[in-house]
Amino acid sequence: MRAPAGVKVQFTGGQLQEVRRLQALYPDKRAALLPVLQLAQAAFGYISLEAEEYVAGLFDLSPAHVHEVVTFYTLFFREPKGRHVVSVCHNLTCHLLGARRVLAYLKERLGVEVGGTTPDGKVTLLSVECLCACEMAPMMQVDDRYEGHLTPELVDRILEGLG
Amino acid sequence: MPKLTIDGKEIEAPAGTNLIEAARRLGIEIPHYCYHPGLSIAGQCRLCMVEIGNNPRPQIACNIQVAEGMVVRTETAKVLATRQSIMEFHLINHPLDCPVCDQAGECWLQIYYMKHGLYEPRMMDEKVHKPKAVPLGPHVILDAERCILCSRCVRFCDEITGTGELGIFQRGDHSEIGLFPGRELSNPYSANVIDICPVGALTDRDFRFAVRVWYLETAKSICPGCSRGCNIEVHYNLRRPHHNQGRRVARLKPRYNREVNRWWICDAGRYGYKFVDDPSRLLLPARRADTQADEVVWEEIIPLVAARLSAYRPEEIGVLASPQMANEDLFLLRRLVDHLGIPNVDFRVPSRASGDEDRILIKADKNPNTRGAELIGLGPRPGGLDARGVLRAARERRIKCLWVLHHDLLLSAWPEEETREALRALDCLIFQGSNANGVSPSAHYVLPSATWVEREGTFANFEGRVQRFWKAVEPVGAALPDWEIIGRIGEALGMGPLPATAEAIFKALAAEVIAFRGLSYRELRDAGKPVASS
Ligand code: SF4
Ligand code: SF4
Ligand code: FES
Repeated sequence: MRAPAGVKVQFTGGQLQEVRRLQALYPDKRAALLPVLQLAQAAFGYISLEAEEYVAGLFDLSPAHVHEVVTFYTLFFREPKGRHVVSVCHNLTCHLLGARRVLAYLKERLGVEVGGTTPDGKVTLLSVECLCACEMAPMMQVDDRYEGHLTPELVDRILEGLG
Repeated sequence: MPKLTIDGKEIEAPAGTNLIEAARRLGIEIPHYCYHPGLSIAGQCRLCMVEIGNNPRPQIACNIQVAEGMVVRTETAKVLATRQSIMEFHLINHPLDCPVCDQAGECWLQIYYMKHGLYEPRMMDEKVHKPKAVPLGPHVILDAERCILCSRCVRFCDEITGTGELGIFQRGDHSEIGLFPGRELSNPYSANVIDICPVGALTDRDFRFAVRVWYLETAKSICPGCSRGCNIEVHYNLRRPHHNQGRRVARLKPRYNREVNRWWICDAGRYGYKFVDDPSRLLLPARRADTQADEVVWEEIIPLVAARLSAYRPEEIGVLASPQMANEDLFLLRRLVDHLGIPNVDFRVPSRASGDEDRILIKADKNPNTRGAELIGLGPRPGGLDARGVLRAARERRIKCLWVLHHDLLLSAWPEEETREALRALDCLIFQGSNANGVSPSAHYVLPSATWVEREGTFANFEGRVQRFWKAVEPVGAALPDWEIIGRIGEALGMGPLPATAEAIFKALAAEVIAFRGLSYRELRDAGKPVASS
């Protein structure tokens, strides 16, 4: 998740071994495309067109078909992202409980629009559909953890805690 | 074979047949978009819903195979309501730009909407906009807003050419057909996606805005582009002659033949007809003395050519027939050559460019009738010279009179200067062909031929399948079918009357040439028949 942009699109020997292990799990190795793309995103930071072509090569697929999968899922980043990803839920419950204010506050604090990344490459801000945590609305996901009952003060503290 | 009933009619169909095909045999058309008999099943469009037995909900006919005792109903109220909903769904984001869409008139959205449309639209939201008029490659242009995402084009590139250029990107109502960024759709069969696209999403850059399809007429034909002999339709426009810069032939389309090309043709063949309405067409017979060329009428030139052919000893004459010519032409030519006893006859002129070939359709031999020329026997007679030998003998002035049919000898694999020298040395050069080429300007006699769409006849493909082609348009100027030119010369040489039709010649051919024995012109029908195996 933390690789800088511009990293070489090439798996290490160990990563390639993992690709082969994943492919061997299924009768049709194409079924392993998603986990391998996740591996690619972790290794290269985001899925560039070059990475799509590279992964296509590992599956004997045409790059167009890898592009189909990458563009279908919103959790694949097709441009370099920040070291941290902040995804604010904008679905019903959070919306009713102030998600719009939270998002506006984050935009102002970070100085970016939704989908943007701070110039120092630290944070990418997203706005997403329901994350199944309505009990802690308004909430957001920060990398792999959920943060709920958000207030401007709490948001400040969370941002300060990011390395 | 499973026996089932469709709309109350009983039918037996081989196991594995899907319900769309089984219904088709009964003359029942189940509307569909994504199903194509040449491609895998996608189940994408949902238009082909039918009711089966007592199953509670309609099911897709394309992905269900016949089974013993199955009861299928294709026109129930539930099915009709389903079709209407599916059509409504397909049109949610459709731009409804039929007036400026090239597909109009042959669009399956229009066709099915007439019968299954809702007519009172319920959509009030802004439509999703997508890229329009995006060239995908040299031949195909995309309007993503008109696409119904049936995925036929994607499957064609995956399954038929194996090139995989196309994909469906994004998701939901933002899904759109496209290429991997930076790539293009340029495989040798790319334009087939235009034929199979049921709507106006993929249209032909060559044909776009040339003629409205309802002005077109069609003739069955055979592609002359290589020895595969793909079955085609010639679409021509006579009703709006001011459209398309006066070009009569508007496009070629594949015609299904299970034994030859199935549903497909290659791009080279599809766009290879431009010579038909080209300014380079030879319009009138001409005779040339010194640098002066005079256009004359057939009645004048035929006796002149016949006189020249009889003025030389047979060994002093060379005849270069062409595997571009139909069997009927070649047969009359063989008769004429034998009548005069000319030994120096050939039809093989290697071309400079080596022909490409693949495992799909394209053959390296770019002539439609090499097999016919072989079987009819247009090679050198015993002691006669082959094509190269004829040119050498011409340079040495042993051949004095040369009759070239169609070949552009300057584009042959032989050194151009040698060929020029041979042509210069001739006492008499007769050129017969449809278009001016490297040989025609130096010919003393020019005999203008009709192109294959301006006449009928047969070709034998590389496998020896004899296939008919039909006349679409009239010959330009005074051009005549090759057989008629040859027949008239033969008549002047005392060979008996000119046969009345191509069919009459075919009959004589079938009686005389062993390989064609038992074949009848009429019974070749649409799909052709193989020659007797040698
Ligand atoms: S472009 Fe045409 S063939 Fe391709 S998916 Fe769309 S509608 Fe189907
Ligand atoms: S494969 Fe040959 S016969 Fe078929 S369309 Fe192409 S050129 Fe014509
Ligand atoms: S034809 Fe059956 S789902 Fe499209």
